[in-house]
Amino acid sequence: MKNSLKLLRVERGWTQEQLGQELGVSRQAVNALETEKHDPSLDLAYRIAVLFTRPVEDIFENPHT
Amino acid sequence: MFNAFQNSSTTAQKRYTLRTMAFMGGYTAVMVAVIFGAFDSIQNTPAAWVLALAVTAPIVGQIWTSLAFMRESDEFMRAVMAKQFILSSGISMALFTAWGFGESFANAPHAEGWLIYPLFWAVMGLTAPFLKSSS
Repeated sequence: MKNSLKLLRVERGWTQEQLGQELGVSRQAVNALETEKHDPSLDLAYRIAVLFTRPVEDIFENPHT
Repeated sequence: MFNAFQNSSTTAQKRYTLRTMAFMGGYTAVMVAVIFGAFDSIQNTPAAWVLALAVTAPIVGQIWTSLAFMRESDEFMRAVMAKQFILSSGISMALFTAWGFGESFANAPHAEGWLIYPLFWAVMGLTAPFLKSSS
C-alpha cells in the first residue's frame, strides 16, 4: 500500500528503529511498511495516524478510490 | 527464517533463536547418538518407543517456539513466520508424499520417516530468503 511513512519519519529525524519503538513494532515492520511489503492492520494504521497527528488517509493512499 | 530476520534485535527474536538452538541441539544430540549406535541394544523392545518420543520432543518444542514467537512479535513478523512455516511444511509434506508413492509404485529407495524434520529445515533455509513480504 502506497504511503508517506518514510517522508513523515525523515521529517522528524527518526530512524526506522526509533519509529518502531514509538509504534511498538520491529524495525523490520517499519521497513516493510515503507517499502510496501506489508499492509498495516487497521489498529496499526490508526496508531501511526495518532503518532503523526494526521488522518489515516493522509498517510496511506486508499487503493479503492 | 534466519535470513528474513537477520539484523534482528527484538526480545522475541532473541528468545526464538535461543529456543530454536536449544531444541535443535537436543534433536541433533539424540540423532547423533542413534547414528553411532548408542541405542542399538534397545531395538525391538518397548524402550525403543521411549527413544522415539525422545526424538519427537524437540520437534514439539520447536512448534511451541514458533507459536511463542508469533505471540510475542508484531503483526509483520507474525505474518512472515506463518508464511515461512506453512510453505516449508507444505513443500516438505508434498516432497515426502511423492517419495512415499515412489517407494510404493516406482521402486524408489526407502527414506526413513524421521527425515521429514531435517527436510523441513532444509526447505525453510532455501525459501526463507525469498519470503520478505507479509502478503
